[in-house]
Amino acid sequence: MNLTSLVRTSHITRTFTHSIKPISSSSSVSLSHTPTSLNPKPKTPLYLKPPIYTTSLSSLKKFQKWAKTLSSSVNASFKDSSNLHQELNWLLQDSLQNPNILQTHEENDNLVALRLKLDDLYDLWTQRIEKRRPFQYIVGCEHWRDLILSVEEGVLIPRPETELIVDLVNDVIKGGGENGDLGNGLWVDLGTGSGAIAIGIGRVLGDLGRVVGVDLSDVAVRVASYNVERYNLQDKISIKQGSWFEPLSEFKGQVAGLVSNPPYIPSGHIDGLQPEVGRHEPILALDGGDDGMSDLLHICNGAASMLKSGGFLAFETNGEDHCRFLFDHMETIHKESFCNLKIVPDFAGIQRFVTGFRS
Amino acid sequence: MDHMTRINFTSVIFATPDAGVSSETGVWAMQDFYSLRKEVEATSQRVKEIRDSAGLEQLGEELAKLETATASDSFWDDRTSAQQTLLALTDVKDKLNLLKEFQSQIDDAETIVNLTEEMEATDTALLEEAATIVKELNKALDKFELSQLLSGPYDKEGAVINITAGAGGTDAQDWADMLLRMYVRWGERQRYKTRVVEKSMGEEAGIKSATIELEGRYAFGYLSGEKGTHRIVRQSPFNAKGLRQTSFSGIEVMPLLPEDSLNVEIPEEDLQIGFSRAGGSGGQNVNKVETAVRITHIPTGVTVRCTEERSQLANKIKALSRLKAKLLVIAVEQRASEIKQIRGDTVKADWGQQIRNYVFHPYKLVKDVRTGYETTDIVSVMDGELDPFIKAYLRYKYSESMAN
Repeated sequence: MNLTSLVRTSHITRTFTHSIKPISSSSSVSLSHTPTSLNPKPKTPLYLKPPIYTTSLSSLKKFQKWAKTLSSSVNASFKDSSNLHQELNWLLQDSLQNPNILQTHEENDNLVALRLKLDDLYDLWTQRIEKRRPFQYIVGCEHWRDLILSVEEGVLIPRPETELIVDLVNDVIKGGGENGDLGNGLWVDLGTGSGAIAIGIGRVLGDLGRVVGVDLSDVAVRVASYNVERYNLQDKISIKQGSWFEPLSEFKGQVAGLVSNPPYIPSGHIDGLQPEVGRHEPILALDGGDDGMSDLLHICNGAASMLKSGGFLAFETNGEDHCRFLFDHMETIHKESFCNLKIVPDFAGIQRFVTGFRS
Repeated sequence: MDHMTRINFTSVIFATPDAGVSSETGVWAMQDFYSLRKEVEATSQRVKEIRDSAGLEQLGEELAKLETATASDSFWDDRTSAQQTLLALTDVKDKLNLLKEFQSQIDDAETIVNLTEEMEATDTALLEEAATIVKELNKALDKFELSQLLSGPYDKEGAVINITAGAGGTDAQDWADMLLRMYVRWGERQRYKTRVVEKSMGEEAGIKSATIELEGRYAFGYLSGEKGTHRIVRQSPFNAKGLRQTSFSGIEVMPLLPEDSLNVEIPEEDLQIGFSRAGGSGGQNVNKVETAVRITHIPTGVTVRCTEERSQLANKIKALSRLKAKLLVIAVEQRASEIKQIRGDTVKADWGQQIRNYVFHPYKLVKDVRTGYETTDIVSVMDGELDPFIKAYLRYKYSESMAN
């Protein structure tokens, strides 16, 4: 019921979205909606669909063999960027009621329960190989930290690098100390997408802690709300639709923590992206303007008035130069507003995050 | 013994070859008797071996020592040590009783066989009794032997096998794949829940690495001796000239321990955690599904890797629990009371030792370097017929430990 109320809210908000100033040229990419499918329900991840279809074990093995052959036909750069063997196993794992069935060497006509039609399985794998459709959209979910998040076209697939933001927040909360009880305060995730960071943070906050996730895209708002509901965190996390700080005016100066993984890829790099990313993921969540910094700088400028004194912030960047640029910007232009600024590398050693506190 | 006194000699029926139908049953009964006699002889030999290797004399001495200790006036002064002594006493007594029981059982069976021979007659009920004794005795002997050979602290747990292709490209990767199949088949024969949880494919053929999880009692106890380097000699199927080729693959075996039993704390600074890089600028630029995590325990150099989980955090958690399991096993091997005492320099040598040769060409032979056990039936071995090798190693390990 909470979901319906959230969806209804987003529906109302949506009617105002045309008045919102586009944050970058890319936001002109419209998410096509016909009046009848104005608010389609978020897609259920494959692994949660009921196993109402059946096929024989031998047909399934035939599919597996076919899919393996198709995988081996791909070019070297595709092979380098993906572990198709593992993806196929995971696809089967999500499709089958009893995935262990494939561990046997037998091939017989025993029936196997599936969560989708065998034909659809062929279709999905063809899309994966020929269209380079991301694996996570195919199975409708992404395993991120200890969460399984629903994802679909129109919402960015959360990246493993971003998992670290939750750890950074957790460290700050558990550190306690001079900044007061941040864990029981209000947190904001700008550009929440699937809701990954918001949910990650929601699960480490104290009993009184709350999170607001904001996104401009209808799909993201729907998917994030669905994920929040799936983890039964409706009382802790709310998802609002709008551009960055717009839906948050009531919280000015009260925010205990502000985090964001905004679009940060320079517009000129979009064409050269890995096909899974460039062709399939929402450009709204990727394109950060000419230098990739426009959204980061916008958020940075607004953060000072949103955060309360002692409040924490963490931003993800395109890495290295971008990260240092943002750090320098905050240290010089906003030197009155922020303190204890830090550059934090990701697990691959790339300078990725800027963290700090509101003075 | 009691039932021997109850033998009713009048019930002994003589084999009567001249009596039509009954001659037929008589012949069958004689055949049954011969096979029973053979079984009794074999079991008797087995009882002797087990009693010998159990060290009856030592057990007797230990019993005397423990009994003296319990008789001492100051015995109950230290309650904890008193409890321990009593437990040890019960253990030794139980073991001695069991060994005595084996002997008396086989004596009974032998008496029946001897009697039947002397009387030149078969008493079906009596022979059936002997057959039952032998059958039950063998079961008990199996159990006893197992408890002796598999008495390590983690032996009754499930197991994780890690296979890594050695240097040498496609040939070694194909060999790793053959070993993967061999262990999966073995696991299935044992009716263990056997799952290949991770497999990293080779460029042309075979695998670079794989991980198998086997759930079931004593999987680790049986497999622990498989760790080491396995060497193959064959004509290379990947070489047009079919030259003779030697390849290696490394096998690691760890117990599959439940999370809550891993109450070992490893200081954060002792761990070096590496992640598979997304490549390029990472972040939003790249969508890579695989999130492999590799953890090295710096003081010992022990390394584990986990790629099968679908999130980085999950891989990290699993890698850490595998690392703990591996360190616990190494600690037991080195008789170290805690992980801090593990000598890293010897770990590498121990775990990389060449343990078995599989020769496909110019002749066929599988030979274990440690036990000397060998067979020419290489096809069966590759189909998972590993029990003779495993049992030979367990006996070898047991006798080594007795010798020390």
